[in-house]
Amino acid sequence: MEPSYGVVLVPSVSHALRAESLVRGAGIVCKLIPTPRQLSSDCGTALRIPWSDRDQVEATLRAANLDYEGVYPLLP
Amino acid sequence: MARIVDARGLPCPQPVLRAREAMQKADEVIVIVDGPDSAENVRRMAEKAGWVVRLDGKEEGVYVHLVRRSEVQPETCEVAPEESVGPRVLLVPSETMGRGEHAELGAVLIRSFFHTLLEVEPRPDVIVFLNSGVKLVVEGSPILEDLQELAGRGIRILACGTCLGYYELKEKVAVGTVSNMYSIAETLLTAGRLVSL
Repeated sequence: MEPSYGVVLVPSVSHALRAESLVRGAGIVCKLIPTPRQLSSDCGTALRIPWSDRDQVEATLRAANLDYEGVYPLLP
Repeated sequence: MARIVDARGLPCPQPVLRAREAMQKADEVIVIVDGPDSAENVRRMAEKAGWVVRLDGKEEGVYVHLVRRSEVQPETCEVAPEESVGPRVLLVPSETMGRGEHAELGAVLIRSFFHTLLEVEPRPDVIVFLNSGVKLVVEGSPILEDLQELAGRGIRILACGTCLGYYELKEKVAVGTVSNMYSIAETLLTAGRLVSL
């Protein structure tokens, strides 16, 4: 059962905001959300993305040299 | 029948100990002490034990009158009800949450907060937007979708008309009702629980 959303974990709030801006710029719908309780991160804010877009999201972030901890499935 | 404990001339902590002893054997105890310090010690011990205390300063000493609290004591009940009658109101007096030099952080916090409102309970019954907070109910607001979802679930959203007018945003309201200070004041004052960001 594929998850609907993925979560991009980042090291800081400013990383989160930058990630949001980059991902939006790539035409992908995303949302800043509190880091889900079951995931651990340096930062309390994360970026929610459609699971199906995760490859493109990662490519976008890497192309901009933005540090991120990883993309994880968002489980209910 | 009150038990009398004459603790005059006794050094601390004797008055308290004697009083405690008497309290185990009676529902009403009168402890006579030399002065206000001993009286205070006895009072503190007795009140902590849930007894009603009355002090009577006389020439020969201080009479500390102790009465065991009975079950029915409505006038002296100090326990506030967990949740009072009345709607749960959330006041948003700013477009940012919390105070600090960086508005960016405040903006992120507001977005996080409204995202979690969709997931955690209990949810507010009414959300009131005031001052720069009214910017959150207009087109382009970062929390517009969340507010629309909350409104869809029956949560009332009020935005101050004066504030919207001041920012010249009245025509751009995208969720909720434009309200006035009467309505807002009433909402805040009749709230059962009020949380302000």
